[in-house]
Amino acid sequence: MRQHFLGTDEVSELILDGRTLILAGDERALRTLPRGDWLGGTIPYFITGEQGGVCSRDKIFVTDLTGVVTDAAIAFYDQSTLARVYAEGPRHGFSFIIIPATNMTHLFFALKAPGFRDFGVRPLIGWIAGIHLDDLGKKTPKVFNGKTLEVFEEGALVLHAELPADKVAEIGIVNLFEQGEGDTLVFPSDGFVAKSVLVNGEKMNLAAYLLDRKLDTRLPLVADYYGVPVNISFKTVHEADGTVEFYAPVFSGVRYRHAKPVADYGDGFRQLILSGSGLEADRVVFSCNCILNYVYSELEGKKSEPFTGPMTFGEIAYQLLNQTLVYLQLHDLEPV
Amino acid sequence: MKVPEKSHQLWRDIVTGSRAFELRSLAAKMVLGSLILSVREHPSPENIAAGVDQLHAVFTKNEHSPSIQDDLKTIFG
Repeated sequence: MRQHFLGTDEVSELILDGRTLILAGDERALRTLPRGDWLGGTIPYFITGEQGGVCSRDKIFVTDLTGVVTDAAIAFYDQSTLARVYAEGPRHGFSFIIIPATNMTHLFFALKAPGFRDFGVRPLIGWIAGIHLDDLGKKTPKVFNGKTLEVFEEGALVLHAELPADKVAEIGIVNLFEQGEGDTLVFPSDGFVAKSVLVNGEKMNLAAYLLDRKLDTRLPLVADYYGVPVNISFKTVHEADGTVEFYAPVFSGVRYRHAKPVADYGDGFRQLILSGSGLEADRVVFSCNCILNYVYSELEGKKSEPFTGPMTFGEIAYQLLNQTLVYLQLHDLEPV
Repeated sequence: MKVPEKSHQLWRDIVTGSRAFELRSLAAKMVLGSLILSVREHPSPENIAAGVDQLHAVFTKNEHSPSIQDDLKTIFG
């Protein structure tokens, strides 16, 4: 068992035992932990094996990498160094990143990561740290370096992890959303905010278009990245000035469509897993899912087996994703 | 299966979008999602060569992963 949902005393014991951990929890809980071999980010929402979706300010979600990795080093990145995050990944392993939501590094990563050196060459997985939704505007998301007990609101922390010679890391995603049959939307520039959009080639105001068509903005825009559905979630539609904010940036030239509705997330999830996506549950080391799926699909008390983990303000599988479950699997090395 | 040399025509065909394959590797698909768009907008020999370099690096550095091995068989037989 590599993933646990534990109280702070139990997590402290694991840390003092010298285990290598990735932690997700409320800021107050993380601040009680001793120095040790751990990396953490703030979030109080989780999917657990026992309770399903749960919000807790007291318990911490633990991913235990002890015995899984042979070496792990924590590095701090900010806007001036983040472009090296893929290139500085381990020669044989994976990198795990946590970035506090809405800081400058988050925005920079979201917009620029696909252009960084060695993008896609070395596995990078992780999540965007958040806060309790009642604390929006009152508190800030943070990341913790357990080795130094430093806490950061700005920048990003990355665990570069080496694997045994006979193991290899693979990142996967589970996205229940797919492109609908409606209009094709193309944006003139990259960004988290858009005002104009080409709808089937005709220039329109995006906010007016969404309101006029009464599109459900709980459903994301979906792009097709060589067969991978990549979501862009709506944040706010501002009718007054005609702008629309997103939780991840739209990219110019990419063709987006509004997603098909998902009737029941839990059911859809089970069907997708059963349909045979190449997923082997016992190989999953880590997974996280999106807070928007938790809220919109009312996942409190519901399970998404075999996946457990934090419910985050953004998911990272090489690049920033929205409303998507991401996971890390370890495989035995394939002969070539 | 070993990763074919960068000079193999199929690498170029993939990044220019003239040949498409149903791949398994998320890394390869994420890279191609933006790479093909970039090459389509700026189809200079330098841009195509840079695209081939990037895609080839994804396969070379991950050649022991099961999905990359599957994709090599899908593309190169």
